[in-house]
Amino acid sequence: MKKGLTVLLALVMALLPLAGLAEIDPAEFKGATLNVYNWGEYVDMSVIRAFEKEYGVRVNYKTYESNEYLWLQMQAGDAWDVIVPSDYMIERLIANKMLQPLDKDIVTNLDQLAEGVKNLPYDPDNTYSAPYFWQTVGIVYDTTEIPVEEMEAQGWDAFHNEAYAGHTYMYDSSRDAFMVAEKALGYSANTTDEKEIQDAWEWLRTMHRTLKPSYVTDEVIDSMAEGLKWMAMVYSGDAAYILSENEDMAYCTPYQGTNVAVDAMVIPANAENPKLANVFIQYMLDYDASLANSQEVGYASTNARVLEELSGPGGDYEGNSAYVPRAGYEKDEMFVDLPTEWQAKQPDLWAKVMAE
Amino acid sequence: MKSFFRMSYPYILWIALFIVAPMVMILLYAVTRSGNGTITFSFTMENFARFLSDPTFLKVLWTSLRIAFLTTVFCILIGYPAALFIAGLPEKRQTLMILLLTLPMWINMLLKTYAWRGILMNFEDLSSEIRVFIGMVYDFLPYMIIQIHTAIAKLDPNLKTAAYDLGANPWKTFLKVTLPLSVPGIISGITLVFLPAVSSFVIPKLLGGGNYVLIGNLIETYFLVAGDWNFGSAISLIMALIIILSMYLTKKLDTTAKEE
Repeated sequence: MKKGLTVLLALVMALLPLAGLAEIDPAEFKGATLNVYNWGEYVDMSVIRAFEKEYGVRVNYKTYESNEYLWLQMQAGDAWDVIVPSDYMIERLIANKMLQPLDKDIVTNLDQLAEGVKNLPYDPDNTYSAPYFWQTVGIVYDTTEIPVEEMEAQGWDAFHNEAYAGHTYMYDSSRDAFMVAEKALGYSANTTDEKEIQDAWEWLRTMHRTLKPSYVTDEVIDSMAEGLKWMAMVYSGDAAYILSENEDMAYCTPYQGTNVAVDAMVIPANAENPKLANVFIQYMLDYDASLANSQEVGYASTNARVLEELSGPGGDYEGNSAYVPRAGYEKDEMFVDLPTEWQAKQPDLWAKVMAE
Repeated sequence: MKSFFRMSYPYILWIALFIVAPMVMILLYAVTRSGNGTITFSFTMENFARFLSDPTFLKVLWTSLRIAFLTTVFCILIGYPAALFIAGLPEKRQTLMILLLTLPMWINMLLKTYAWRGILMNFEDLSSEIRVFIGMVYDFLPYMIIQIHTAIAKLDPNLKTAAYDLGANPWKTFLKVTLPLSVPGIISGITLVFLPAVSSFVIPKLLGGGNYVLIGNLIETYFLVAGDWNFGSAISLIMALIIILSMYLTKKLDTTAKEE
């Protein structure tokens, strides 16, 4: 009798995926804790609360500021159930066997992905990762101080323009800073050529000397929304928020090319609650959660319908030039993971630029 | 005596675990290369050489020492008269004043620093250094006042009366009696202000407007961003040596003051 039941159960379970849906019983997770580690200012907390309520779980939600910091913590053995690294870091995590594959029976919402985030090189079949937000890196600027044509004509060269001295924010991230310099010089953002990196370093030092920029992280969002400075290097999602708060601001995706980045949800190999993590990822990819999150933080949704609705007529970001990332421009690049020696070398060179 | 010694075991264990062990690890990291196995170490001095041969790092070190020094001097300049004033009040008022002084210390430093950021935002012309300086003086001033106040308050009032008796005016009494006898207070105040000031990294980060780097920020960068624990440890160790040296010097100052 008991055996018969097991066989029946196994049969049902085997057939479930065929039916196209894995029924999740929320009661299964009651009282569990899910450890989620995400970027700062990157979620609508009410979505998290709703998830907690629906599944009777507690989400331990913490935030970090950089991929490098996340990497160090993971190496120290910290266990998280869901993390949201960027493309190149996911590549590194996969190479080091630090991730576990998504359970495609649970995470079915991947079919709702927008065109721009399908088949990405770091994980072409989404074996490990589910794109969360995507973005370009660009310049947000005050059109009352810098006319649109002037900025578009300069692109990254604006960071060498003496006229803006003392009126500039630069994002404190070594990888992005080097990307800006390398693109301005016409190199690849993934270069490992000794001379090109030296050139890029010189470019950044010149920027430091001519502009005396303020090096900031997330505080750039509020500061630019208040119009405290003329221009800032920002991620397009932050720019979308800034533009919606301050109508004098505009966003420039430099003609020299830039970095297109995707932050995706992944499950570390040492996750304590992988099944619930899959359920969480599925929940976050869904239309409702994607809509709420994108409305709240301004980053471009990876959900095709949300992206279209929010940027379309009547959407929250209608006419907002920063919301939808530029896709398909030949000079734009995604980051690939740098060899180990450069992983430490870039932050070192960058620290010296800022301390000079 | 022996049983008393036994009571200190937990304390010794505490020191060994949380003070000595981390210091040993920092030392170990500082004199090795990265990528060590658990058993094999490759010893090197290049972390120190790298710091000392780079003008950028030396500049940061100099800036840190300079601002910590200025902070300490200003804390004495403001703190001494304040302590003197408080010590001159009736006993009950003194307790109240000291309470008022320590009250802000109950609030998280991060919070206070954020508040200063908001205040200083209204003054666009201030340089980053002045902003950091204001934040530091504000944060560390209570330590200075309390130390000096304790030293002055425990002075025997009869000493002053004796000085007046011998014909000294109040100014001379202060110079010859109160000031010399309160030097130990000033010195422990210096220790409590200079040391945290020289290694502070939150205040420069929040108030420096993003272009003011102190040694504490460098250490943070190498640990958290570059992931270069060896070089970060070397900087920490250089920092620790400077702190030990300055403690030794103030101690020396203390003993000479006492001998006088």
